[in-house]
Amino acid sequence: MSKGAVKQKEINKTIRAEDNWEPIGPTPMPEMSDLRRWDLRLMKTYKPFYAPFCDLCCFCTYGKCDLTEDKKGACGINISGQQGRWGLIFSLMGCSAHGAHGRHLIDYLIEKYGEDYKIDLGGQVDVEAPHMRTVMGLKPETLGDLRKGIEYVERGIIHGVSATHMGQEGSDIDFESKSLHIGMLDHVAMEVADIAQTIGFKFPTSKAETALSGLGWGAVDKTKPVVTCVGHNAAVATVMIDHLMKAGIYDQVEVTGICCTAHDNIRYSDKAKVIGPLSKQVFFLKTGIADLVMSDEQCVRCDIPQLAKESGSALIATSDKISYGLDDVTHKEVDEIVRLITQEGKQVLIRDVDKAGEVAAKVLPVVAKNRKKELVTKEKAQELAQACKKCELCDRVCPNFLNISTAVSDVKEGKFDMMTSVFARCVGCGKCEQECSKDIPIIKIMQAAASWDTYNIRVGRGPIQDVEIRKVGAPIVLGTIPGIIAIVGCSNYPEEIEEVAEIAEEFAKRKYIVVLSGCAAMAAGMKKDAEGKTIYDKYKPDFDAGGVLNVGSCVANAHITGAAMKVANIFAKLPLRANYEVIADYILNRVGAVGLVWGSYSQKAFAIGTGCNRLGIPVVLGPHSAKYRRLYLSRKEEDDWTVMDGRKKELVNTEEPSPEHLMVVTESKERAIITLARLCIRKNDTAQGRQIKLNHYISLYKQYMGSLPDDLQNFVRNDKDIPIVYKKEVSEYLKTVGWKPKPLLTLPTFIGTYESNIPIDAVVK
Amino acid sequence: MSLPYYHVNVFTGIKSCRVMEDPQPLAKVLKKAERPLMVFGPKCNEVNLDGKLLMEYGVEIAKTLGAAVCATANTKKKLLELGVTPDSTYDAVEIVNHLKDPNWKGVKKQGNHDFVLFLGVRPDLGNQGLSTLKHFATHLKTVTLCKYVFPNATFSLPNLKDDKWKEYLENLIQGLKS
Ligand code: SF4
Ligand code: SF4
Ligand code: SF4
Repeated sequence: MSKGAVKQKEINKTIRAEDNWEPIGPTPMPEMSDLRRWDLRLMKTYKPFYAPFCDLCCFCTYGKCDLTEDKKGACGINISGQQGRWGLIFSLMGCSAHGAHGRHLIDYLIEKYGEDYKIDLGGQVDVEAPHMRTVMGLKPETLGDLRKGIEYVERGIIHGVSATHMGQEGSDIDFESKSLHIGMLDHVAMEVADIAQTIGFKFPTSKAETALSGLGWGAVDKTKPVVTCVGHNAAVATVMIDHLMKAGIYDQVEVTGICCTAHDNIRYSDKAKVIGPLSKQVFFLKTGIADLVMSDEQCVRCDIPQLAKESGSALIATSDKISYGLDDVTHKEVDEIVRLITQEGKQVLIRDVDKAGEVAAKVLPVVAKNRKKELVTKEKAQELAQACKKCELCDRVCPNFLNISTAVSDVKEGKFDMMTSVFARCVGCGKCEQECSKDIPIIKIMQAAASWDTYNIRVGRGPIQDVEIRKVGAPIVLGTIPGIIAIVGCSNYPEEIEEVAEIAEEFAKRKYIVVLSGCAAMAAGMKKDAEGKTIYDKYKPDFDAGGVLNVGSCVANAHITGAAMKVANIFAKLPLRANYEVIADYILNRVGAVGLVWGSYSQKAFAIGTGCNRLGIPVVLGPHSAKYRRLYLSRKEEDDWTVMDGRKKELVNTEEPSPEHLMVVTESKERAIITLARLCIRKNDTAQGRQIKLNHYISLYKQYMGSLPDDLQNFVRNDKDIPIVYKKEVSEYLKTVGWKPKPLLTLPTFIGTYESNIPIDAVVK
Repeated sequence: MSLPYYHVNVFTGIKSCRVMEDPQPLAKVLKKAERPLMVFGPKCNEVNLDGKLLMEYGVEIAKTLGAAVCATANTKKKLLELGVTPDSTYDAVEIVNHLKDPNWKGVKKQGNHDFVLFLGVRPDLGNQGLSTLKHFATHLKTVTLCKYVFPNATFSLPNLKDDKWKEYLENLIQGLKS
């Protein structure tokens, strides 16, 4: 539906149209199809690629319908449409999780501080909310404004969900456009949530060098009472920490976390500790080190009550999204709840943030008393493994194809190396143990094989500072900083957990900017060099060449994409306000940023990646991620790489597949590294920038593939692009493949290559 | 079709692979291929069957069959070391994406392939790429030479132990040569 006068008035009111910080661009608060033409342009080059996980559809009572090959379901949908629909559903799930998180935080903080509570991200962050500015056209000033952001996302979600109903949308391309839209909203939701918690809980901001915090299950002092927060919403934990401090016992306990709440806890208090990523949830909870487990929301295992019970840990669930069938005791007095937990051993649900935090602080020292915490020793592990008959049932259910049966049989003989390697690759699903016909507690056995080392993680710093963008804007756009590598996502890595640290270091060494968040930021800290240093100890935490920085939890991902938007705004002076298409086009063609979701797991990671794609940021995925069934791939030799030269207003066939894909799966670490380096190449690179980028691409390719890249001819525009060190070799190679110089252009843009209301001049500043 | 070895690849559909218990009929079918393509996955670098690298079996099959070679993931280096210059280097999903197009010129620019052999691709990724081909590339046949059942291939080996797998590959090579 096009916008009528009433709708326009409502939008103007929401975004305070009369504020003249920037002119209002063409798409304030876009609805589901308002940016569709941009999506179709993207998909003209980067076509959806589907790998159906299931050939059937069982979404309604007509079905199950067989959609194999060109068969249609009873409603008329085909297999491509069905895969597109799945993609939209995944995006919606992810966006809703972040959105609901943001909604909860904002409602809580507005109750506490009122809706006029000011947004202040410190002296170094003036462009406070690039997503809200660019997508909505609103420059948020208060908590009340942040709520407008969430309301906008909520409205988008209803329309998105409705399109997945049977008999509605049927086109794969249109499902994708909707999916891209929801991905974009996801970044708005994340930005809102992280700004809210940063101002509400006074997290560090406008500071690059945040503290280093303890990381790893080995970092926890198990002789103290230990509380472990599992999930993504730190509201309750912050209240609990306040109460522990007030009671004067904060130093005598250990506040720990798994997943993103852990990130936010250390942003609140760097005395808190991070146990590790999602993949270590079952492992850690089964150690019984936690005296009290507090679950909040998202990426929290569905069987926490059983795990807690089995380990003798107390449990408080704190979110209405995860109630576990527990008694809701929210209405009871604090002391009564404490009694129910400490004396009756009850697991409870408390939906009131302040009450849950207070109860947790009171319960913790009591439940910790008299608990024995003994880890499984090597001798005990050997004893537990004796029953193994090497039936391989465990191997068959492992989603990471690990050779568990051999590892267990080795332990039976007192050999632990294989189990250590299985543990390093284990994604923590617990299926092997469930399947074992001999009831061998495989995950517990891992306690005897795991490293109990202590690591460091840099406390999440939130937004990238404007001053940093001013400094790196030009080198990024010219290509002399070869790229921004954003390593995000969950922790089901195909190989060892250390892979993420290795990938991050490869690029930091080469002076790319490496940005991390969420579980990936934790995993990256879990590798030490010969001197015992992690990448956080070794590399500066600046958003600059060779920097390695942690922005924070999942929702802080919005600051990574926000940084790319800020390059367009602060460096290139393009207005952000309601100007999504222009900003996305700028990023796609001129900012060499690439995401890596090496261990994608949750639907949130899918939504984040999809949002990156609409914004022109390519994403490289690990092999597990193919199970989300959809990628955006080009075919470099066959596709048309024509863009507009914005200055000359001429169409130019660049013949250059840059960036080559928007979403691609790679199977090995080596291939991921090469692909990341290649996807940083942009048409806007100067000759000097292109030389630097090709220098890295060639050297990485040689290192891992043993030859010059066989697509090198695609990225050399003329002789000046050839890195000096490889000049002779590359020139000879180019001759053998019949390479010819390619046309040069000064301002590459998609605007003007498809029907759009945006004038070409809008990209020229 | 027997249950795939890895449950993550369990089949949910109607059209599944033909499990070739005996390598000889498979050799016969393969010999009829006009423009076969052999896709090497990263397990070819790692798996050793009693002293012989999996990749070497793949190379022998490709050579005997006259199949074009596609190196995926990080297999190119090892192939070069074995004296094989791959006709193309792609990620697994990239080569699958090309194969979907019946009008593609193929890795040798002589026309799209009619039969694609896969060896050493990660089992979950492999089965999904095969699903893409099953649905969207009805113009070609696929076979997996790994030791597991891949329901989305046209032809698959049964679930085998390493020693039987080695034997299978050796017999297949014999069959192709005869
Ligand atoms: S939604 Fe369509 S394809 Fe799916 S079960 Fe219903 S009728 Fe069949
Ligand atoms: S399922 Fe149990 S008994 Fe069977 S191999 Fe695995 S650990 Fe041993
Ligand atoms: S818990 Fe780990 S080892 Fe066991 S099946 Fe899951 S991923 Fe595999």
